Amino acid sequence: MRAYLFRRLGQAALTLAGVSVLVFVILRVIPGDPAKMLLPEGAPQSAVDELNRHLGLREPLWVQYGIFLRSVVRGDFGQSFQYRSPALRVVVERLPATLQLTLAAMTLTVVAGVSIGIVAAVRRGTGYDYAGTGLAVLGQSLPNFWLGIMLVLLFGVTLRWLPTSGFQGWTYLVLPSVTLAAFPTALVARLTRSSLLEILAQEYIRTGRAKGLAEQVVVLRHALKNATIPVLTVIGLQIGTLLGGAVITESIFAWPGMGKLTVDAIFFRDFPVVQTILILSATIFILINLVVDLLYTVLDPRIRYG
Amino acid sequence: MRERRSQLSRFSRRQFLIGGSAAVAPAGLPGWARAQARRGEIVAGVSERALTLDPANHYSISATSVCRHMYDPLVDVTNDSKFVPALAETWQVVNNTTWRFTLRKGVTFHDGSPFTADSAVYTIKRARDNTKLIKSFVYQDIEDVRKEGDHAVTVATKRPFGSLPAHLTMLGMLPPSAAANEDAFFQKPIGTGPFRFASWTHGDHIVMTANPSYWKPGVPKVEKVTFRFIPEISTRAAAIRAGELHVIDRVPPDLVQTLKGSPGVRVLDTPSVEAQRWIFQLAKEPVKDARLRKAISLAIDRNVIIKEFLLGYGRPVVSPVPPGLIGHTNLGQKPYDPDKARQILKQAGLQNVQLDWVLMKDLYPKQLEITQAVAAMLGEVGIKVNIKNLEIATAREARTAGTYDMFYSGWAHMPHDPDWYFGQWFTKAGAEKLTRFSDARVEQLVAEGRVPDAKVRQQKYEELQRILWEEEPEIWPYYSVAIYAISDKLKGYEARGDYYVLLSEVTI
Repeated sequence: MRAYLFRRLGQAALTLAGVSVLVFVILRVIPGDPAKMLLPEGAPQSAVDELNRHLGLREPLWVQYGIFLRSVVRGDFGQSFQYRSPALRVVVERLPATLQLTLAAMTLTVVAGVSIGIVAAVRRGTGYDYAGTGLAVLGQSLPNFWLGIMLVLLFGVTLRWLPTSGFQGWTYLVLPSVTLAAFPTALVARLTRSSLLEILAQEYIRTGRAKGLAEQVVVLRHALKNATIPVLTVIGLQIGTLLGGAVITESIFAWPGMGKLTVDAIFFRDFPVVQTILILSATIFILINLVVDLLYTVLDPRIRYG
Repeated sequence: MRERRSQLSRFSRRQFLIGGSAAVAPAGLPGWARAQARRGEIVAGVSERALTLDPANHYSISATSVCRHMYDPLVDVTNDSKFVPALAETWQVVNNTTWRFTLRKGVTFHDGSPFTADSAVYTIKRARDNTKLIKSFVYQDIEDVRKEGDHAVTVATKRPFGSLPAHLTMLGMLPPSAAANEDAFFQKPIGTGPFRFASWTHGDHIVMTANPSYWKPGVPKVEKVTFRFIPEISTRAAAIRAGELHVIDRVPPDLVQTLKGSPGVRVLDTPSVEAQRWIFQLAKEPVKDARLRKAISLAIDRNVIIKEFLLGYGRPVVSPVPPGLIGHTNLGQKPYDPDKARQILKQAGLQNVQLDWVLMKDLYPKQLEITQAVAAMLGEVGIKVNIKNLEIATAREARTAGTYDMFYSGWAHMPHDPDWYFGQWFTKAGAEKLTRFSDARVEQLVAEGRVPDAKVRQQKYEELQRILWEEEPEIWPYYSVAIYAISDKLKGYEARGDYYVLLSEVTI
């Protein structure tokens, strides 16, 4: 187990090194001049050149990468071009908003998605199943932006129950997290239903029922545990995606999260911020995958890593 | 428009009364009267996220709005582009390259330290010397800034710099103590402005509270202002309709009806200091041919654009410089005459013309629809347009490289002065990587128009624009209109033509 863990961590380090090179090169290869994006439309070329010199962009690429690598090892991701403050600080400042939104959306996803899935599987072929499956199809097919705007118009503008946008307290979290959770909830509901149905058809379930176990125990303790593995994989991937930011939801609700920060940073060619975000998200993504893989062993003792 | 005028006139009367009473009343109003006069909170939703609170380090209009509440510049500018005293009580032109600013006495920063000539010297020199700062290039013409006692500074420039007071309207004065640790200072800045910095949730909002010892009597009128950053217009609109905001900026014409129909919301509009402009690559065939440019100009029905796409929220152009600014003059609207356009093209032997028209994606309201309509108009006279809707950074690179025929752009005369526009776009050095404009006569007039004498400037700019109007190195389709939505609880809100959202003299 320990050897496996070390091997995985080693692979993670290699992946991160690869990500850093790729990000670094791609950013500098695509057209676009950071200084020109920072300066107003009519700034003279001399000002553009001068600013690029200050930003360290006049050095050869390999020199820039060397400086970058040396700083990153010390935990310094450079100064953001746009914000003129450390890129890591700019990114970390957006973390609370992103974490809150991710956590709220994932909690909703797990609770609602798994519950709907269980009900639909257990009451297969009944009205509950059709309603659950219908909701899931709806959740997967409604575009995010449309759902978000409708929720704002209904609960914010017309009923005035909830704030329309911003990041100032838990009430502000409701609409964006519902918007964001719609798609993964539907996904998890459908996945739970189908994998639970598969498990429920197995022999050991019949044995369980035959020896007189309560249906609740059969479903929740024996079947669900086994049905959870594919669901867990999807949830892990979704958390990774959400932590990277949810651009559309963030835009609709003026949510100061990572998604919009990333898009703006790419847009304005704020290299240090893009690099920081991508390296951080790659790290988080890799770690979550590792945790999910380790969780498998807890859920299914047959899975062993050696 | 009518609504806005009446709003303005009410505002002016109120201003007059306040100004008058302030002049008559003894300087020290009883504390309770001041406290009574100032109450409530205004929440504004602006379209750009303020990235920095360093007044010298951005040209963001939203950030300028925020900064204007915390810092005062030496010179202020009114909505009709008049330069009025702020921290400088007066200023004189000593000669063509020397200005003297007499500073207001008795002004203090939010930490109680006095505002003196040292602050002005520090702020202006910093803007010139720290070339990392975004506004630094504007101040490179400054030779020296000297203090003359505690309350006057002399600014000497390398060449005439007639637009200096205009640029100074965008430079908030800093305490010299900021130099010790600028990074920390701009996280929790202090200025002399009507509001004090209270808190900043990065990417979301900034809160400021009233400065009770502000030098301007009776200002500010509310206890607290909050600027929320909401880039998405539908989100800003929803928030004001839900009663969460009191003012939003940058309302597009097609949302005006919805907002007007929302209870408690009013829509204000005002002519802006911005002219849209479609530039040509003047060193490139075939648009370097003035006859082709003339034909293009004649083939465009500007009134259709204003009426159909901007729903009337645009004004016909009569000279490159918008009304209200120095240099504006009436050269008459450009005619729409497709027959004449066809005739010119035929006479010039310009057949099968194809043009690449580059757009900076999603930058200007309705730009793609307008471009498509104009492409159809040009198609009517036999000119084929390839629309290239590129991501902004890529589009700008194409402009630098000169790989375009037409380019969709705009120019807001932010310092309320056209010198920057002319100096950048109509001099050989300035336009080198942009339009490749080059005309010795125009260049000479731009240089002559830099003197401080307003009469000379007006005359030079009129002459210069007559040449531009004839040569048409760019198309000026319309002057923009600035549209705002405000809560009907606000009193005295002035819709600004420079897109600033200013709240210190507004009550709720």
